Amino acid sequence: MIGVGGGLLSGLLGVGGGIVMVPLLVLWAGYAQRDAHAASLGAIIPISLASVATYGVAGRVHPWEAIALAAGSIGGARIGAGALARLDDRRLKLVFGLFLGAVAVLMLVRR
Amino acid sequence: MTGVGLYAVLVAFGVVTGAAAGLLGVGGGTLMVPFLTLAVGLSQHAAEATSLLVVLPTAIVASIVLHRRGVGNLPVALRFGAVGAAGGVLGALAALALPGPTLRLIFAAFLLLVSARMVRDALVSR
Repeated sequence: MIGVGGGLLSGLLGVGGGIVMVPLLVLWAGYAQRDAHAASLGAIIPISLASVATYGVAGRVHPWEAIALAAGSIGGARIGAGALARLDDRRLKLVFGLFLGAVAVLMLVRR
Repeated sequence: MTGVGLYAVLVAFGVVTGAAAGLLGVGGGTLMVPFLTLAVGLSQHAAEATSLLVVLPTAIVASIVLHRRGVGNLPVALRFGAVGAAGGVLGALAALALPGPTLRLIFAAFLLLVSARMVRDALVSR
């Protein structure tokens, strides 16, 4: 249910699935914060694969920009995931909560 | 921005996005799409398609790191995502039929509520 809901909302709103899945997993499914973040990251793999396929990414991707960003983000992902494995749930909740608040404000500001 | 400078900025922004994505359990598209449209000047569609291609390796690397450290359950998460992918196709179709601004407003309200709840929980459970 949450998988479908997360995918549905992400397709609907053009946001990554994680921003929807993490709150649903924590508040409805009762996941611990850290487990919710890990489950969300794993779920993003097939979801983004499907999106890449449906988007007909071909003509639209800017390949060099994508490669440069990915080169950085692969290194960053190690740092972030390492921090996720270490931080306690209370801190994770606080950081994630503040991130959501910032995204919400951004969505309201730039329509 | 053009040339080497642009690519240096992109790599640096990639590091920040990847770290945030790995920590927060999100793909990073929320950060990358505004950056690619506003700072790099790509169109909305080009930014979304480009960002999707970056999200994929980011999530794979973060998942491998977490799996090695014994955090979460990767096979379950992958199955969960396979179901979600079906929802994503439905959502993309529905998005074409519904008024965008209203949706964004409702979603932003949902995020604000969740945000307030999480910050409160974090502070209360001290």
